[in-house]
Amino acid sequence: MKFLRRVMLAVGLAGAVAGVLRVKGKGTVAQRRGGWRSHTPRS
Amino acid sequence: MRVGVVGAGVVGARAAEALVSLGADEVVVHDERPEVAAALAARLGGGVRVGDPLGSGGRDDAGGGGIAGAGPCEAVVLATRAPQRELAVRCIGARIPAVTTSDDAGDVLALLGLDDAARAAGVALVVGAAASPGLTGLLAARLAAGMDEVDEVHVAMHGTGGPACSRQHHRALAGQSVGWHDGEWLRRPAGSGRELCWFPEPVGGRDCYRVEHPDPLVLKRAFPRAARITTRMSATRRDRLVARLPMMIPPHAEGGVGAVRVEVRGRRGGGRGTEILGVAERVGQLAGIVAAVAAATIVRGGIGGAGARVLGAPGSPHAEMLAWVESLGVRVQEFVGSEG
Repeated sequence: MKFLRRVMLAVGLAGAVAGVLRVKGKGTVAQRRGGWRSHTPRS
Repeated sequence: MRVGVVGAGVVGARAAEALVSLGADEVVVHDERPEVAAALAARLGGGVRVGDPLGSGGRDDAGGGGIAGAGPCEAVVLATRAPQRELAVRCIGARIPAVTTSDDAGDVLALLGLDDAARAAGVALVVGAAASPGLTGLLAARLAAGMDEVDEVHVAMHGTGGPACSRQHHRALAGQSVGWHDGEWLRRPAGSGRELCWFPEPVGGRDCYRVEHPDPLVLKRAFPRAARITTRMSATRRDRLVARLPMMIPPHAEGGVGAVRVEVRGRRGGGRGTEILGVAERVGQLAGIVAAVAAATIVRGGIGGAGARVLGAPGSPHAEMLAWVESLGVRVQEFVGSEG
């Protein structure tokens, strides 16, 4: 029973940490070279 | 031109507006909420009337109006929430060409399965004529026209249209994505495979993920020789976290500016090339315009032959259709440069 409680506690903590990281995780913005311009189809 | 629109929500309303702009003589609008259909008809006025596009030939529900002696609608746009298969079957039974706007993978598969029934009835059934699928097929076809052979088609999308589209976005992040990969359909968990995609401004860069989406199923019909076809959709971390839970916050009436982006890779002049086209616009607006253009193309005899049709397929007038879409205010842009 004690072992089961410890496993459940560990799983719960891991889930909480994963949830926080997924929502608040650090995002990076990649560099972009180039841009958008109006498109004219080739004739 | 006499066209019916079933569903007077965001997409149906935009489709009716676009049909009026395309010169429809009469647009017959139907909705399960009669007051919504009546409000749309009152707002657009002119040739827009409330009626049953499949039953009464478009006569006004109130007993008046309609074109005296007019036959049934020449085409019907289905702009209801998914599934649309049952309505499509009714259209086929009434021998009226239909344009579907469903973005549910299972529903689109079922609609494509109506090919034999549509052929037997001698009517066209356009499957997936919205923003994605739909506009994505037209954009891919324009890019493919400049290539000798298309190897890969990759679609990314940001934003949602009306409430039904928003709910579909929620479900799509919790299902199984399908993608065509070197001769077989690969299933992956939705919400995986993060990729940063750049959309036209004002949307910009967004993290996009695999989703349960019908675009690869539709694009495979349009580009049968392509080796890889994928679709990704933008999502926030919160979207992914709550995707497998019931939708607790009611969806918005209409989403803001969304975007569609299509990347085509293939062979060109002995080498390999990559071309990217994108559009930034309200998703409901895009879907309505594309559906209206598809219906108008059917009426004008542009989509030849009966059976299930997809936009961008060989033999379809995709160049003319995309030009029509652009004439209704949709600005197509190309990405020039490299991403890193």
